[in-house]
Amino acid sequence: MQQNQPCPILLQMKNINKSFGATRALDNVDFELKTGEVHALLGENGAGKSTLVKILSGALKQDEGSMLLENFRHSPSSPLEGRKKGVSMIYQELNLAPHLTVEENIMLGKEIHSWGFVQRKEMKRRVRDALELVHHPEISLDIPVRKLSIGARQVVEIARALMEKAKILVMDEPTSSLSQEDSDLLFQIIKKLKVQGVSIIYISHFLEEVQRVADSFTVLRDGKEICSGNMEDTSLEELIQHMVGQKVKEMFPQVEHTIGEVLLSLDKLMGSKMQAEVELNLHCGEILGLAGLIGAGRTELLRTIFALDSVEQGSIKVADVRFSKGTPWQRIKQGMGFLSEDRQREGLALSRSLTDNLTLSNFSPYCRFGFLGLKKRNEAAQDWIQKMKIKARSPEQRVFSLSGGNQQKVALARLLHQRADILLLDEPTRGIDVVSKSQVYEWMGQLASRGKAILFVSSYFPELLGICDRIAVFYRGQIIDIRPPSEWNTESLMVAATTGKAL
Amino acid sequence: MKRKKRLQDLIGWLAPFFGLILVLAIFSSIPEIQDRFLRIANFKSVATQSVIVALGALGMTLIIISGGIDLSAASNLALSGVIVAYAISAGIHPVVALFCGIVTGGLIGFVNGSLITSLRLVPFIVTLGMLGIARGIAKWIAGNQKIDAPLTWVNELMTRNPRPSWLLLAPGVWLMIFLALVMAVVLRYTVFGRHVFAVGSNEAAARLCGIRTNRTKIMIYSIAGLFCGLSGVMQFSRLTVGDPTVAVGLELDIIAAVVIGGGSLSGGEGSILGSMIGVFIMAFLRNGSTMMGWPNYIQEIIIGAIIVVAVSLDQIRHRRER
Amino acid sequence: MKIRTLIPFAIFLCLLVLSCGKSEQSKSHQDETNKLKIAVIPKATTHEFWKAIHAGAVRASRELEVEILWKGPQREDDRAQQIIVVEDFISRGVNGIVLAPLDDRALCRPVQDAVRENIPVVIIDSALQGEDHVSFVATDNYKGGVLAAKKLGELLRGKGDIFLIRYQAGSASTTKREKGFFDTITAEFPEISLLVQDQYAGSTTETAFQRAENLLSRFPEVDGIFCPNESSTFGTLRAIQEAGLAGKIKFVGFDSSVKLVQALRGGHIHGLVLQNPMKMGYLGVKQMVLYLKGQKIEMRIDTGVYLATRENMDDPDIKSLLMPDLSSYLD
Repeated sequence: MQQNQPCPILLQMKNINKSFGATRALDNVDFELKTGEVHALLGENGAGKSTLVKILSGALKQDEGSMLLENFRHSPSSPLEGRKKGVSMIYQELNLAPHLTVEENIMLGKEIHSWGFVQRKEMKRRVRDALELVHHPEISLDIPVRKLSIGARQVVEIARALMEKAKILVMDEPTSSLSQEDSDLLFQIIKKLKVQGVSIIYISHFLEEVQRVADSFTVLRDGKEICSGNMEDTSLEELIQHMVGQKVKEMFPQVEHTIGEVLLSLDKLMGSKMQAEVELNLHCGEILGLAGLIGAGRTELLRTIFALDSVEQGSIKVADVRFSKGTPWQRIKQGMGFLSEDRQREGLALSRSLTDNLTLSNFSPYCRFGFLGLKKRNEAAQDWIQKMKIKARSPEQRVFSLSGGNQQKVALARLLHQRADILLLDEPTRGIDVVSKSQVYEWMGQLASRGKAILFVSSYFPELLGICDRIAVFYRGQIIDIRPPSEWNTESLMVAATTGKAL
Repeated sequence: MKRKKRLQDLIGWLAPFFGLILVLAIFSSIPEIQDRFLRIANFKSVATQSVIVALGALGMTLIIISGGIDLSAASNLALSGVIVAYAISAGIHPVVALFCGIVTGGLIGFVNGSLITSLRLVPFIVTLGMLGIARGIAKWIAGNQKIDAPLTWVNELMTRNPRPSWLLLAPGVWLMIFLALVMAVVLRYTVFGRHVFAVGSNEAAARLCGIRTNRTKIMIYSIAGLFCGLSGVMQFSRLTVGDPTVAVGLELDIIAAVVIGGGSLSGGEGSILGSMIGVFIMAFLRNGSTMMGWPNYIQEIIIGAIIVVAVSLDQIRHRRER
Repeated sequence: MKIRTLIPFAIFLCLLVLSCGKSEQSKSHQDETNKLKIAVIPKATTHEFWKAIHAGAVRASRELEVEILWKGPQREDDRAQQIIVVEDFISRGVNGIVLAPLDDRALCRPVQDAVRENIPVVIIDSALQGEDHVSFVATDNYKGGVLAAKKLGELLRGKGDIFLIRYQAGSASTTKREKGFFDTITAEFPEISLLVQDQYAGSTTETAFQRAENLLSRFPEVDGIFCPNESSTFGTLRAIQEAGLAGKIKFVGFDSSVKLVQALRGGHIHGLVLQNPMKMGYLGVKQMVLYLKGQKIEMRIDTGVYLATRENMDDPDIKSLLMPDLSSYLD
């Protein structure tokens, strides 16, 4: 039983305090990490998880408190120094240089050189080894990263972190844009790293996933440490309770809604970036889930419907009007609303205020002879902030200063504000906390009850099963099967999505 | 499949040449000036005329790849030229004077870089300020007129008929070719070169990867400044006088050359080869139009059009790739 | 959608074709190969003064049956750009170059290059150092300055405070005018004091306007002003008018343009020193042609200076200088 002896403490963070202006991001937080363990850091959006690991990595400096790494004082002044001391990070938002090649990205900041000249051969060998380690040797070293899919980019990012001889590896939402397959792969890599004695701090909103990989956990809420313990001794419900601080009645609130006539129908629709024709009917008051792996063609379908990609053949019919080509502007006029999966780049104007973002797609209520009624607009924005429970100081606050979950709420609120009848939602719950998720589900139900039709793309099967009226499974650009959720379960969805065969 | 890809790569690599070849082809097909245009002497003279813009463009390429811009390039160039003239006319040894000029350029670049990084200002604003400051200092030092410096060997750097004659091209032209090669190697094969691209492509990522982005930027602007200084020396060599009012607006030519050569103003893209081709496209156009006796406005319209066409073609090529 | 993206391109092409077509037209009548080709390189192309030189050159080319190539530096008043133009004409292989150098020294090397390639050079308007050119056709600028000083001194009855607003550093012709003016004022009118004598108007009307405005707000009591060329005269005139001092300040300028002639008639300008730019352009080309035909020509030709005032401005001689009729030469 030698092995089960408590591991020596690798990292100790004591009484960490950090404020941003008036907001207290961290309030006397203690954190301990043992050698070779996977430690989950849990909490809602804005609870302080990211701040804590940024302090650890050297990207931020704490106001008060101390850190001990292997019993030595640890106060890195920059990510570089943090990394040299053995703390590596995989960030939540992708952090690659799009114009640089895979090899250049992975070796960025740690180029092997003699007299300033890069040693390409040696670097390529190492990069190849690193990609081998993450089981993606097929990724070409010489193509610019901007030409890779989001999933592949994430793999590159993990490979980059593995290049370091890290003692502590921080993973901030590493699976949020990975397919199930790639996630499983990541878990295998994590196991390997654990054996090698690397400690991992794992931040994720997927609690099931956390339960699978983590040995222990720490829960933060509103900048305070709530509790920590062994993962094995704690149930999922308990974790959620710690995180939200109150009993969650139901993860998937059910709102009564009745399904009406067909509102949107796709007739052999084929877009420029789609792999196959798609035929689909969406009814008033229906939530239709689209399940599948990353890259299965769901995003491309939504983009084609919303005219972001051009229609090659087939047609779209909205309430008896048939059309094929168009522009997003026309689609909005036809009552569609689209929520992009990439809220940083496409979803929001980050440097503009909440008000601007909320009202961007529908100025008309505040418009008089081409002039905007600014006050009216702000009031409306204030309204949405309350309705959507967005944590913001004022409607004038700029969006980039909000946390990820709150940003997503802003993006959603805009769709609601736009009064769309057909909502195309691409991963609306990605990277947002449990409570916000639950709110999003409730809104979707309420919208359906008001007769709106919703196409809901998600890679998280439980939520599809929880709130959809029907679930369609995509496999390589085609719809394999459509059934009501009662006829699916997580396993059968998984099988259909990965093999293309419906059980 | 692979072969097709290789062909595409080749086309992508050759694309910048097409513009240059097109310009050359057009002028050499006009019978009126054909024989004259294609003479080696003409190419020599165009090469000499290009040195000043080309040296500036070498530095500007670095800056534009890193996502910045330098509006002070031409003022910096004028200042450096005035410094050299001032030093030589004060009786300082030409070598030292030359050195002073280049260092002045580097210093201005260093100040640009330091202000951009320490005050966290946009390069556009900082260098816009420097555009005025450097020009003002140049006029101040020169006492608001040109400085007549005694003729020295410095003035032989840019002559059309170099001595000894086996040099074929002016020493300044050889220097330009040499430095262009050096910069191409630096961008492609050194750690610094990679960091320049990384900073321009995604500065936040570069910082998180432990690249000292501020240091890199200061180096970029300093190197560009040194090139402006050298360019100023060449300008002085050509003018034989230190002229504080020279090269007004030349920064736009320099930027245009880089952009025609595939540099992206949002950073991450650009190449030395492309920028040099951009320089020569503009130089040959100017040369050809003068030979034809076309009025200046024709030339201005054509160069304006070429900037738009070159950049849009580049965009189309990129879209294809995706 | 595709059509929409094509429209700007089409407009673009039209513009190009139009501009090229226009240039084709303008040179179609000179498309004979056996004529002598003479490049005429001014300092700039947009001032009235240079248009008059252009007209003179065209007149000479018609009379003597030669072809002229008219081309200024791409950026006006840029020495480096003018060097490039000279070099390109050397490469082009013209028979002769008529040059108005922007700098008395910087243009020496290109002129030497031309001579080495057996292309003779006639200098017009401003002097060039060295002995490489075959002739120098210009106004005696110093004399022009003297003429202006005498007129201003007479207007002020030998007493008062005046400005000498200079044109631009390094410009030889205007520097001589300024010197002639300065020497005469200090020598002949001891009771006139120069409030300002080291301020430069800069190369454009706009810079001159601003400079004069600043000076006038500092010394509103000034009695007289002299400006050494067209752009500085016009800029200063505008500033005087804006300040409401027009007519009160005795103002002598240099060169003419439509607006300056109006101001002369309206009494806002009291004297304009005139050169004869048409004659300069004409003689520049003519000297070149004579030289090429092997005749002996004079090294220095003075094209004269004249003083226009409100009284004599309708004399036919002065009128033709004030408002030269260029329309028959330039299109």
